[in-house]
Amino acid sequence: MKGAVTLPAPLAQVPWAMLLPLMALVLFGAAVLHSAAGGSLSPYADSHLIRFGVFLVMALVMWRVPREWAFMLAYPAYGAVLLLLLGVEIIGQVGGGSQRWLELGPIRIQPSELMKPTIVLVLASYFHTMPVGMIGTWRAIVPPAVLMALPMALVLLQPDLGTTLAIAFGGTVLLFLAGLPGKWFLGGGIAAMVVAPLAYFFGLQDYQRRRVTTFLDPESDPLGAGYHITQSKIAIGSGGIPGKGFGEGSQSHLDYLPEPHTDFVFATMAEEWGLIGGIFVLLVFGIILRWGLNVARAAPDRFSRLLAGGMTATIFFYVAINLMMVMGLAPVVGIPLPFMSHGGSSMMTNMICIGTLMMVDRWNRKARTSSI
Amino acid sequence: MNSLVAPRPLATGRIRLVDYRRRSLLMARFRVLIIALAFLFLALTAVSRIAWLGVIQPAAAQTTMADALLPPRGEITDRNGVPLARAFPAYALWFNPHAMDDGGPPLVSSPEEVARELHAIFPDLDVVDTAEKLRAGRGAYLRRRVLPEDANRVMEIGELALEMPREADRHYPQGSLAAHVLGYVQDGQGHIGMEQVLQDRLVDPAFRGEPAALSIDIRVQGALEDELKRGMLSVNAIGAAGIVLDVDTGEVLAMASFPEFDPNNVTTEDLIRTQEMVDRGIMPPAFNRVTNQVYELGSIFKPLTVAAAIDAGSITNLARRYQANRPLRIGKQTINDSHVIGDTLNAPQSLIHSSNIVTGQIADELGSDVLKKYMTDLGMGEAPYIELPGRGAPLSFGGEWSRLKGMTVGFGHGISVTPLHLASAYAAMVNGGMWRPATMRRIEPGNAPRGRRVFKASTSARMNQLLRMIAVYGTGRNANAPGFRVGGKTGSAEKPKNGSYSRTTLVSTFAAAFPMDRPRYVVIAMLDEPQGTVASSYQRTAAWNAAPVVGRLIPRIGPQLGVLPDEGRDIDLTELQYLVGSGVH
Repeated sequence: MKGAVTLPAPLAQVPWAMLLPLMALVLFGAAVLHSAAGGSLSPYADSHLIRFGVFLVMALVMWRVPREWAFMLAYPAYGAVLLLLLGVEIIGQVGGGSQRWLELGPIRIQPSELMKPTIVLVLASYFHTMPVGMIGTWRAIVPPAVLMALPMALVLLQPDLGTTLAIAFGGTVLLFLAGLPGKWFLGGGIAAMVVAPLAYFFGLQDYQRRRVTTFLDPESDPLGAGYHITQSKIAIGSGGIPGKGFGEGSQSHLDYLPEPHTDFVFATMAEEWGLIGGIFVLLVFGIILRWGLNVARAAPDRFSRLLAGGMTATIFFYVAINLMMVMGLAPVVGIPLPFMSHGGSSMMTNMICIGTLMMVDRWNRKARTSSI
Repeated sequence: MNSLVAPRPLATGRIRLVDYRRRSLLMARFRVLIIALAFLFLALTAVSRIAWLGVIQPAAAQTTMADALLPPRGEITDRNGVPLARAFPAYALWFNPHAMDDGGPPLVSSPEEVARELHAIFPDLDVVDTAEKLRAGRGAYLRRRVLPEDANRVMEIGELALEMPREADRHYPQGSLAAHVLGYVQDGQGHIGMEQVLQDRLVDPAFRGEPAALSIDIRVQGALEDELKRGMLSVNAIGAAGIVLDVDTGEVLAMASFPEFDPNNVTTEDLIRTQEMVDRGIMPPAFNRVTNQVYELGSIFKPLTVAAAIDAGSITNLARRYQANRPLRIGKQTINDSHVIGDTLNAPQSLIHSSNIVTGQIADELGSDVLKKYMTDLGMGEAPYIELPGRGAPLSFGGEWSRLKGMTVGFGHGISVTPLHLASAYAAMVNGGMWRPATMRRIEPGNAPRGRRVFKASTSARMNQLLRMIAVYGTGRNANAPGFRVGGKTGSAEKPKNGSYSRTTLVSTFAAAFPMDRPRYVVIAMLDEPQGTVASSYQRTAAWNAAPVVGRLIPRIGPQLGVLPDEGRDIDLTELQYLVGSGVH
């Protein structure tokens, strides 16, 4: 898309079609956070914007990374993040009590978050090196399964079911895009259906089990375990079509809605902006995800295609689970809404995904220009 | 040929490879498409879900903090703000067999033991009955309205299954006082009295913070009930009714009906009319005799007839004498007096001595149609005007009135009305001639309805003199409380039974107004089937049972209503005194 304004070459290569809606979404998110803080920039909106700025710079740096570097860095990055996860586990054991983050000087990082894009990267790299003809053999499934199982086990130990599922989802989508036989997924699905009840009764923590039962019937305990979902549905429902107006949301301001600035930010938004705001948010996510899939489709080689597809799927997973949770269609798992929820870890993960997609987009353009 | 054959394996391999690549590319594209479809599906689900939650599904009811702090049901007070009905947070005793949640028996001790322990706290609790409830293993109320200290003692039993949930209950701090006016509440719905009338206002969040003020004055109500009940018991009456009405505004200051019920503890016996009651012709306690029961009230109508005759110009000379010693014969019917009072009587004497023969003649001269018009203007032709839901429509009022009908109505027979009808009519007669609807709501000063004119002011003034004379010289002497300038008329009507009138079952009524020099209040006391007892000097008539009730009541309520006793004041009777002579009997 070449506009009438001719931009300098590096600027023209920036995927503005995605980046401008994304910026609009982040600004909109900041407005919602401004309202959730009771009409003030601090403490949510300002840090939200600052983080976006910082991670946008990071994404722009990633954008310039050549394909060879990315390919080369896949396994070392995976190993490093795995070590960090192990470190969290050890520190948790030594320090007593579970924790999910590491304090590295002034910054606090959550390695499980880093693992989400890393697993995509390492699997894309693996399938790229695997000969195409071996896609139906055990070599296509066992090593990737090990690559996924290690971080999943470590994250599950923390315990963090939401992130575990996110890693599993990212990895599975990658396997799917890599072209593993369809019947394997079918079999896996059936196996999951068999395992799910077993996992429910033996694998889940008590609080997680309660979340599932509450999800199935939130009205059974509207003041206890069903409180989140019930209040969230009230917030979305009371918005109607035009919403109550900016800064007028009583559910969030009167603290009825739990976590109005993180996991339930969509409910906060929907109360004040109504159906119109909801459609806007979905539209922007639609633009971003469609762009991501187009990047994947246009990718010249397997590594780029899988990388782009996996990153898009990771963002998609966040959006999907969060929206379904907020609307009462999925159990409450602590997964924030990308680019709108207040929180550094999720912003970092999602901006890594965006940066990677921009990177692949640049390789595509380069491939196209060189082939012409 | 050979050249064609030789490269074949190579070509097939290539084609296979190309084919494979194309297929894998196709599959990759196809799989991306599947993912895209999943996005689309999610987006559609999300939009439709928001639309469902926000547009189609009704929004959750919004309650503000202010609403939550309001009582669940508004308070009812008397005209001075004394609470008559209030929301009362009470404890209930609830048996929850699942409280232990361990699959074992719901109670630690045996049901009998627990029942015995409860019996020690609530002595009126039935041990066997309670033990049965506990053994049944179903959730059940064991008791309602438990006091906090008793609730603590129940907690000390230490049974988890005995739960004490807090419940908003309705409490009537004055007990059965004004029970018929208030009614009662069951499951949030008011019944019978103002609880039913004000139902919407009492539960409306916009109003229920403000108490609803009735016209009732609790002090007057208490005195009325006290005197009425005492009078009723002293003559073994089966029922009684009483009302105190403000003649200038129509406000009901007190209204009582006996037998009464306790709105705090309404039982089925209070509400259900059994076959035995039907046979005996009596109503259950919750029935309001003032507004709902119609009676042939008898002689008490005579002043209204005389007032109509004076007002219509049919009586021009109060000194005129009517024959009083011969029964009136109209067709087959005979109008008679209980005893011969004298050969001739004038109109004031006919009221003082309550002569049916003379009142019949006055009504006859007035004419049935004119009398009916006056009675209609006095509101006798329709159910009484009051907010209360139970209102009795008059009997045998409609249609063309014959000559005989007019004459019998003239002395209070032939039509049946409620005591409230009578009170409103008397109020119009004494207040200068304006009829106003009675009301249970407090009326702010200056906001009284204008009413409709029934009598001329001059007629009203004359009637005040005549009513006062009845109390000074006639059958109402037992009601003549010193200093309160009482005026009034007795009525002792025989109750119709099995088609004829019975001489032994009477309805004795006294209708009074005070102070007659400037009438402010009408007081009605009615006793249903009084017996002759020592207290009434073995008499059944109103002069001996209903009149004394009023005579005792007025000194109690007068000062509270701003009417102070004053022996030095009275309505001027000198211009009529010569007509009745002195010490007339």
